[in-house]
Amino acid sequence: MSAALIVKQLQKSFANVTAVQDVSFDVQRGGIFGLLGPNGAGKTTTIRMIMDILKPDSGSIQILDHAPGLGREQIGYLPEERGLYRGLRVLETLVYFGELKGLSAARARERALLLLKRVELDDRARAKVQELSRGMQQKLQIAATIINQPELVILDEPFQGLDPVNVDLIRRLIRELRDEGKTIILSAHEMHLVETLCERIALINRGRIVLNGDLAEIKRQFSPNALEVAPVIGAAGRPGVAHAEPVLNGDGRPRGERITLDPGVTPQAFLKQLIDSGAPLERFEVASVPLDEIFVRVVTGKA
Amino acid sequence: MMFGLTRKTWTIARHEYLVNVRRGGFIFATLIIPALGLIGVIVAAFFGGETISFLDEQFSGATQKVGVVDRSGLFADVPADFSDDFVLYPDESAARIDLLDSRLAGFVVVPADFAAGGTPQAYVRSEGGLSSTIAVESGRLTRFLIRGLLAAQVDPTRLDQVERLLQDDLNPVALDAEGQPTTADSSAIFSAGAGFIISFAVALLLFISIFTSAGYLLRSVGEEKENRVMEVVLSSVTAVDLLAGKVIGLGALGLTQVGVWLLSGVLITGGLGAMAAAATAALNPGILILALVYFVLGYLMFGTLMATAGSLGTSMRESQQIAGIFSFMAAIPWMINGLVFANPNFIVARVLSWFPLTAPMMMMIRLPHGDIPVEDIVISLVGLLITVPVVVWGGAKIFRTSLLMYGKRMSVKEIWGTLRAA
Repeated sequence: MSAALIVKQLQKSFANVTAVQDVSFDVQRGGIFGLLGPNGAGKTTTIRMIMDILKPDSGSIQILDHAPGLGREQIGYLPEERGLYRGLRVLETLVYFGELKGLSAARARERALLLLKRVELDDRARAKVQELSRGMQQKLQIAATIINQPELVILDEPFQGLDPVNVDLIRRLIRELRDEGKTIILSAHEMHLVETLCERIALINRGRIVLNGDLAEIKRQFSPNALEVAPVIGAAGRPGVAHAEPVLNGDGRPRGERITLDPGVTPQAFLKQLIDSGAPLERFEVASVPLDEIFVRVVTGKA
Repeated sequence: MMFGLTRKTWTIARHEYLVNVRRGGFIFATLIIPALGLIGVIVAAFFGGETISFLDEQFSGATQKVGVVDRSGLFADVPADFSDDFVLYPDESAARIDLLDSRLAGFVVVPADFAAGGTPQAYVRSEGGLSSTIAVESGRLTRFLIRGLLAAQVDPTRLDQVERLLQDDLNPVALDAEGQPTTADSSAIFSAGAGFIISFAVALLLFISIFTSAGYLLRSVGEEKENRVMEVVLSSVTAVDLLAGKVIGLGALGLTQVGVWLLSGVLITGGLGAMAAAATAALNPGILILALVYFVLGYLMFGTLMATAGSLGTSMRESQQIAGIFSFMAAIPWMINGLVFANPNFIVARVLSWFPLTAPMMMMIRLPHGDIPVEDIVISLVGLLITVPVVVWGGAKIFRTSLLMYGKRMSVKEIWGTLRAA
């Protein structure tokens, strides 16, 4: 099966500012892909070119086997700069967006009622949009994004401004979409959420792709030979250990150690050494660096 | 429009129409004009005295007779063909009582020396309004008096001849530049005059309609930009679909508003409506068709320009300032309206007819005068047929780019760059 999205050597400048430079990545069908980057990195410009809202200066995009702009009916897009018709009623809003996506009025209404239930807004169907809270409006926008049951869903900052309860609701919704076989491109700043949702990511910084690939693999690359053990075993003096530091409890007392092994020493070899030495081991795991730490390190050039 | 209209275009057009037709502002603006007209009529009648009877007279269509108090002895009875309009009274006091009781539109006292040159005196109620005045000042009363004056002295055949002359309008023959009668039927003076007035009124209404709709376009686009809805919409439809849908939907909205004003005008003025209808029948269909062509082209051009202006501004106020440039261009022909009346083919009017931004309005003003050089029509239409697609094409491109620029207005350089981009 071909990729849902193939972006090749994309380039876009505004006046004297290069917003996107030689950006290439692809998104396989099914699963959740994270398109990450700091503010002003070029994510939104890239997404707008994918959505045919902006034209690239050069490069190519193939989306669901089409050029951008074709097959809009199979794509759902939640932009970062989003709004709603404030004077319109909730149900009317969804029906209108459904019709714009090519649904008949009757089908759009049917889907709208279903989705309002799914995002827990069914009791507000007759309310005007301006009467909804910001979080409710956000859920309505997400419902509008998927009203046409798109194959590909692009969500730009879907968690922005949501309380934890609604964050959880949207996270579940995204997972359900993935389970239905949809492809989701997620752009978000909440790295802990990206970490729990995405299988693959691309990180854009200053208009260029600086990281691209399987998330677990990237995390491994950023934490080579890092381990966490418990309890404290006095790792600093042991052979093969380059660096060790305590991991503290909430009360400030050490509950274990974070260890960095010498190059060439594998975690398996070190574990064998600990067992052979009779160390009182309760926990041993290959440590991974949190995504937000990777993000900061890459963006600040400390990677 | 030159682009194929998609189903989405009609969806947007319907949405724009239905959302805006329900707006309080639209309903208020649509109803305030007829309401003010109605209030004006009622107030005028109220200060005239009898509101109810006035309205009754205006809307019921009932006509009252004119009383005749004859002291000359020339009007022993009312001839059969005048009996629906006139009634004899033995004395002035009886006529006066009936007049004050609103049973007469007015009455006229024919003096004893009428045959020797005496002047009849007509009376109306000060609260009698327009219908009373018309009744005693009508040509019918004059004919009635002439009949009485001459009946005993003139041969009946000659009397009929005089009456026919009074009754029928002269039917002038229009001569062309070579002094030859034109083939066109230059029917009655009334028809020609009324035809001009109606043509002019149609042109004025179309002008109002263009700018009412263009104003709605400006506001609609400006609001959607402020509300940040545009990017969501543009992910589902093309900029051309969106622009075309708005132009159609809000054009229909403007026509609805003007239609309501027109209809209410006919209803409020009662008889004037019937006169207008009669005059419309005398309207040159060629002029009407041309006016509609200029209307459509003018609306497409100004509608697109207004929508583009709406997308360019960072706020509604700024958008309105940009749109003001185009409104001013369109208003220039109306500023020199008086000069066009004097001479519809003077050089400034002709040049403004050739310039696309002023052509629709200028030609709509000139057309009712007739006798417009064919080359002016051809140049203006060709100019518009070239300009409108360019404006729509360029407008859609600028529209798409500028809609996504929040808090920043496109510079002239950026606009040029957008137009040059593929």
